[in-house]
Amino acid sequence: MATLEHYLILSAILFCIGVFGLLSRRNAVGILMSIELMFNSANINFVAFSKFINPDILTGQIFSVFVIAIAAAEAAVGLAIVVLLYRNFDIVNIDKINFMKW
Amino acid sequence: MELGVFYILAAVIVVSGLLVVTLKNIFHSALMLILCLFGVAGIYILLHADFLAAVQVLLYVGGVTILMIFAIMVTHQLTGKKIKHYNEQPVPAGLIILSLLILLIVSITRTAFEVADKAEPMPTVAVIGRALMTDYVLPFEVVSVVLLVALIGAIVIARRD
Amino acid sequence: MIEIPFINLAVIYPEIAIFTASVIVLLVDLFMKGEKQGTLSTITMLGFAAAAIIASRQWFHFETGFSDALIADNFALVFKLLFCAAGVLTLFLSVHYLNREKIFRGEYFFLILSSTVGMMILASANELITAFLGLEVMSVPLYLLAGYDKKKLLSNEAALKYFLMGAFASGILIYGIAFVYGNLGTTNFDEIYRALQGKTLYGEPLLLLGLGLILIGFSFKTAFVPFHSWVPDVYVGTPTPATAFFSIAPKAAGFAILFRLLFKAFAPMMPDITGILWVLAVLTMFAGNLIAIAQRNIKRMLAYSSIAHAGYILIALTTGTADGAKAAILYLLAYTAMNVGAFGIVILLGREGEKDLSIAGYSGLSRRHPIAAAAMALFMFSLAGIPPTAGFIGKFYIFRGAVSAGFIWLAILGVVNSLISVYYYLRVIVIMYMKPEAESDRVITYPLSLMVAIILAAWGTVQIGIFPNSWLNLVRDSVSGFF
Repeated sequence: MATLEHYLILSAILFCIGVFGLLSRRNAVGILMSIELMFNSANINFVAFSKFINPDILTGQIFSVFVIAIAAAEAAVGLAIVVLLYRNFDIVNIDKINFMKW
Repeated sequence: MELGVFYILAAVIVVSGLLVVTLKNIFHSALMLILCLFGVAGIYILLHADFLAAVQVLLYVGGVTILMIFAIMVTHQLTGKKIKHYNEQPVPAGLIILSLLILLIVSITRTAFEVADKAEPMPTVAVIGRALMTDYVLPFEVVSVVLLVALIGAIVIARRD
Repeated sequence: MIEIPFINLAVIYPEIAIFTASVIVLLVDLFMKGEKQGTLSTITMLGFAAAAIIASRQWFHFETGFSDALIADNFALVFKLLFCAAGVLTLFLSVHYLNREKIFRGEYFFLILSSTVGMMILASANELITAFLGLEVMSVPLYLLAGYDKKKLLSNEAALKYFLMGAFASGILIYGIAFVYGNLGTTNFDEIYRALQGKTLYGEPLLLLGLGLILIGFSFKTAFVPFHSWVPDVYVGTPTPATAFFSIAPKAAGFAILFRLLFKAFAPMMPDITGILWVLAVLTMFAGNLIAIAQRNIKRMLAYSSIAHAGYILIALTTGTADGAKAAILYLLAYTAMNVGAFGIVILLGREGEKDLSIAGYSGLSRRHPIAAAAMALFMFSLAGIPPTAGFIGKFYIFRGAVSAGFIWLAILGVVNSLISVYYYLRVIVIMYMKPEAESDRVITYPLSLMVAIILAAWGTVQIGIFPNSWLNLVRDSVSGFF
């Protein structure tokens, strides 16, 4: 039996991979993918909690539905911005952004 | 049996996730992302979230990643020039992340959760649908506002004029 | 059969008014031919006015609805009124600017309106998922507004930076929400408060982590140091009226949710995290003020100054008292007036293509344009917190609240920071009044709409500064029922 902790640790690993990509990637689409990984790790948490904490009302699953919708909306907006930058200025890499800068 | 499936899915998710953030070729990253999201859908099935698994495949794998692949194809010359993107400062970032991961895992293992031993309703669609129309009708409507804004905004930004 | 529960729509009447206006703007923009800027701005204005009237009529009604996910207490309503005021002022700032930069499109008003809907939801959210969704409704239009000047590289980059930072913050926020939900089994603020009774934060590492991640997520929006690195670039690249909007409304919305979160839901844990907030406040004030000194571009300077001002409000948050909440609301009202005014002057003195933004370019302004220089001086005095202006009253109550709550050192550091900030605000005045006139072919026209915004802002700055009593009453009422 996979316990709640199994799922939470899996999601923690996925979250950390996402943050790592965010800190080290220099390509806007690459960063967006990392952010999607973060959203997915939150969703695994929600669904796992839903199953193990209050399985009869499924609140966690409902939250996941909202998160997926938000992630889709953000991806659409983000990719529109990326396409705009590329078309007008031929830029995809965002070297000037430094996420680790203070 | 269930644990075995979990470990297989977890391995798929972690390995493909790592490849998403480390591969040099952004197009390959996108393909790995698809694999990773499929793995997450498998986890949902393991957690008896059948509706969510379907949504995950349809919306994430079928929608978001395809959108990303389109964006990659528009912004990179797929033929000819090599599509490359680099990681910067992977070592300090990796150290920060490693400490974050240890912090998370220690916190998770040291927390005692009150696990409820109740069966979830199957199929889940009916319960989710009813909740979206009753208790969660406001968030449901708010999401529709976000989608409207994103739709119009994406057109405004990406349109030539 | 699904039993449809009773839905109390009254709690979202202001949101409905604004959203209706935004949809009408879209439709009119689509079907109307010819010159439509006047019509569209009128509709936008009417939407804000309707929402403000509804919100003020709900004063002391304490509506709740949607399974207690939303609550329209006075605290939420005062923020809704503030968003309406910020929206209207931004509208007045925008009309002339959009024409000058030749970037007018109807969707601009749609984005401002829909962003306001999100802020209102955020201000009255009484539940974490609703708050998250409100944050998204607020943020997505803001990313697009940042990139609104599509032909300018800076604006495009601002959009991308703002978007990536914002999406990152959302990811952190939702991960934190998941932990809180898993630990307490609920996301409703009242139920969180009940569930937390008798728990200590350090016995629950995951809960602490969840709360920390949520705080980080919102800190990106309110731009606390060290989560501020996007601010200067985004503020500079964004079209100036939208920058004014950014510096006021989303920040106020972020503070609204932080206050509700920390004073209501997580109130039992508040004593455990004041230390963290204390450090954040000091870092934010010092970083904002010290870096602002080095700036040569007026928009960049105002960006860092807005970080510093968030630090002052964070002092009020740290105190954790009703006096702190009151002082924060008063400060946000004052900051709205003076910051809109400052950005109004920046727009007035700017030229097509966002030129003339260097502070040195303002030298000798008082001789050729005495009115503009005097107004700028007023706003700079107020931002520096010099009496008898709104900025002084706001700072006075924040520092007094901190002292009476026992945070003497925080108050002292706040005063030190105010003194540092005097240096760079007064430098603008010195340059305008003492320096010889710069060789400039600057031609200033005084467009009516822009003047309305500046006059309203100046009125607010002086009014709060000289007659603070009615404002203090408003602020006192606005936290009633909150504590």
